[in-house]
Amino acid sequence: MAFEYHGVNLPIRAKTISSQRMSWEMIAAPGRWWSGAERVEIARIGRAARDFEAVGSEILPEAAVYAIQKLVVDNANLNREWYQEIIASEGMSEDRYVELVAVVVHSLSIDEFHRALGLELEPLPEPIAGEPTRERPAEAAQRASWPPLVPKAGLNPGDEMLYGPMEWGANVISALSLVPENVRWLHDLSEGHYLSFAEMRQPDPLRAISRPQIELIAARVSALNECFY
Amino acid sequence: MLRESSNRSGTLDSLNLQGTVNPDTDSGVPHGSLLTGFAEAAVRRTEALPGLREQIASELGVQELVDVAGVVANFQRMVRIADGCGIPLDEFTKDATDDCREDLGLHEYASAANTA
Repeated sequence: MAFEYHGVNLPIRAKTISSQRMSWEMIAAPGRWWSGAERVEIARIGRAARDFEAVGSEILPEAAVYAIQKLVVDNANLNREWYQEIIASEGMSEDRYVELVAVVVHSLSIDEFHRALGLELEPLPEPIAGEPTRERPAEAAQRASWPPLVPKAGLNPGDEMLYGPMEWGANVISALSLVPENVRWLHDLSEGHYLSFAEMRQPDPLRAISRPQIELIAARVSALNECFY
Repeated sequence: MLRESSNRSGTLDSLNLQGTVNPDTDSGVPHGSLLTGFAEAAVRRTEALPGLREQIASELGVQELVDVAGVVANFQRMVRIADGCGIPLDEFTKDATDDCREDLGLHEYASAANTA
């Protein structure tokens, strides 16, 4: 089983482990627009990019490889024109782009957790066979973000509460909703690494460090990435 | 979120938001310099990281270290979602940060053009 943390003398939280395992299962399985093998390949390219290794791929479109590398190492300089160029490239679409971003950022986050603690990276999962479903939610609509978003009514059953009282959710929560599974994924790894959406509204104590300490780290990471949002 | 959480914890008066963008400025958050130094070392992958890891473990504790690593990991993800999707500021965020975005120099970030 993945994420056993054998020989690691650190108190890794149970929710952290379960959310990381869930992420590996998500990456390995066929999505809506990429196969399991392609999704694992996306994670592999992203992992190499963080080590400034510009590796190629025999199974991903060239534009996908470029997008992965840009998202990992030059995220501060993305813009709408770049996005439009990527989704118009051969083998790409806005749906495929959104699914690619989700795999990149979730696998990166887990790798960054390991790197921060000086741990060996978890081997990437074995892909699960099967075809992508190629289902776009009928409710998807263009809003202010670059990719279309899905409102509460288009989320998977049981996930509606993840948007809270907002029909379209907070912008960062719904950003990857064109593939609705991403909304649950976003939440679960948030809970594993940071706080659940419900905990964000609760007072301390929530973790071993205080909420202001948590938010100071969050703000510093955002500033280092020159992220305006 | 930092300002709101400091307000809720009764420490808003000692908070200096410049500590989030300037590593030489004391944020006023307990152990703030150590935490932001660790965040910077992790994001930039500098040689300071192992020493800062040990310092957090010894001064704060190992559970604290694990939680700090989790927050760094989470926001390495969140910034890329924001940057990769060109999401605009939510109205509630815009209202809450109108008075500090300019002071912190956030409008100078390239991504400001995507999300403002």
